[in-house]
Amino acid sequence: MERKVLLAENQPELGSALRKALGMTPADVAFEVRDAKLQGRGGAGFPAGVKWVLAGGASGDRKYVVCNADEGEPGTFKDRVLLEKYADRLIEGMALGGYAIGSDQGYIYLRAEYPYLVPVIEKAAAEMRRKNLLGANILGSGFSFDIELRMGAGAYVCGEETALLESMEGRRGEPRNKPPFPVNAGYLNKPTIVNNVETFCAVPHIILNGAEWFIGLGEGGDSGTKLFSISGDVERPGVYELAMGSSIGELLDLAGARDVQAVQVGGASGRTIKKGDSARVLSFRDLPPGGSVIVFDSSRDMLEVLENFMEFFVHESCGQCTPCREGNARLLHAVTALREGDVCCQECLQPFIDLCDVMAVSSKCGLGQTAGNCFRDMVGGFVELPLECNCEGGDS
Amino acid sequence: MSRDCMEIVAEGLREYGSGRERMIQLLTKVNEELGFIPPEAMIGIAEALSVSAAEVYSVVSFYSFLSAEPRGRNIVRICSTISCAMQGQREVLEAVRGELGIEVGDTTADGRVTLETTACIGLCDQAPAMLVNGTPHTRLTPEKARGIVAGLK
Repeated sequence: MERKVLLAENQPELGSALRKALGMTPADVAFEVRDAKLQGRGGAGFPAGVKWVLAGGASGDRKYVVCNADEGEPGTFKDRVLLEKYADRLIEGMALGGYAIGSDQGYIYLRAEYPYLVPVIEKAAAEMRRKNLLGANILGSGFSFDIELRMGAGAYVCGEETALLESMEGRRGEPRNKPPFPVNAGYLNKPTIVNNVETFCAVPHIILNGAEWFIGLGEGGDSGTKLFSISGDVERPGVYELAMGSSIGELLDLAGARDVQAVQVGGASGRTIKKGDSARVLSFRDLPPGGSVIVFDSSRDMLEVLENFMEFFVHESCGQCTPCREGNARLLHAVTALREGDVCCQECLQPFIDLCDVMAVSSKCGLGQTAGNCFRDMVGGFVELPLECNCEGGDS
Repeated sequence: MSRDCMEIVAEGLREYGSGRERMIQLLTKVNEELGFIPPEAMIGIAEALSVSAAEVYSVVSFYSFLSAEPRGRNIVRICSTISCAMQGQREVLEAVRGELGIEVGDTTADGRVTLETTACIGLCDQAPAMLVNGTPHTRLTPEKARGIVAGLK
């Protein structure tokens, strides 16, 4: 069901959530977010409030709040829209995070592809400072918090939170070994919360209206609303806000999808579903809703789509771990082999399906762990292998 | 006439300081002013941040927007991800290649334009799209793209 909160016409007064939170204890602010069951809106779905409680309890002379504005998942542009219109709400959410964990410094890590948003964010921050909602001694409370903008330099993998931290520290964006997790050892080895733009934007609403209200926004046991960027073969591409737990069919109707063959939910790293799956649910219980939904009508060659995704992963793999670096290259090769008939039967195909499994369990970060999803889904659901096979089978 | 690269590094160090974590900001500054990061700048940054020049180079080589090689005065990045590919990106790319007379990854002989394709730039609702020096151009047609590229100085 369409349900506007983050994108509502009438927004609560800027700073009202911060004013309310400053009358609460920091721990209570973190508990409220935890109790709201706010799952990370970047796509991984980790409970944001759990990060906040852990970082709040971690020991460290300094702590940091980091906003992941590196949205790079193919088909995702919801954070761009939030930053264009609601950068001030985002900054308020970050300040709430700072108060909750005991941090006076936040960073927005903005992808290099969005340089035109820099003045928008800087203007919002300046306005917040002018209103004493950001900077020293916020609203006379004694709590100080400010933000700094850090630009990415063009690397999809930096959306992974520890790769992002590496990049912020001036290094190659190669994901770290975990543990330790950022809540204990994040930016410059200090306790750090890293949350998505949309996640921070939801926080002021949670603080003002309470955890129970936020849970009530969701459907079927899910919590809150979720933004979806929808593109491809639809009449009305754009960003839609729905109750978390809504069906994919509702979203497709809103956007005017026609003659649907397949829908890619969650971007290249997400899942591919078929025409008849419109009752599937946009939820971390079913189809993890990162925010990207791409629709393919019946005229689309799904092998071409798969090739586009695999080229993307080959380019964006950081190359640090072998399953991801080599695995993606092999899967791309397999797409060519499928087209040319060199992979012609289930027996030829099986080693590549096994490779997807190996990548899923042995890659170091989410990139390699999820890159095989589209291969498995598309080859399994949309590519017909010849009935007659002349090959010797197996080793292709 | 572009400024001396060591002057730019020195200015960056005054602006950002010489903490190890400032490396990408320093590199980005040089990259934006010169279009690429010359070896002397990498060595200068390495010395200021107390790391090896090889480490600086490895960072430069990691990121799509940083370049160790000279590039054109204008960078055209055409999105090649699926939502743009489905809305006619290939025809747009062909038109731009024809207009410039170069292949993807190359720079025009007069140093005017470098042509690249890029992964998703988050403009899928206005596909096909491209970035020209960071400025988005959306709902492209081959004619529109050709005109934009022809107008670059």
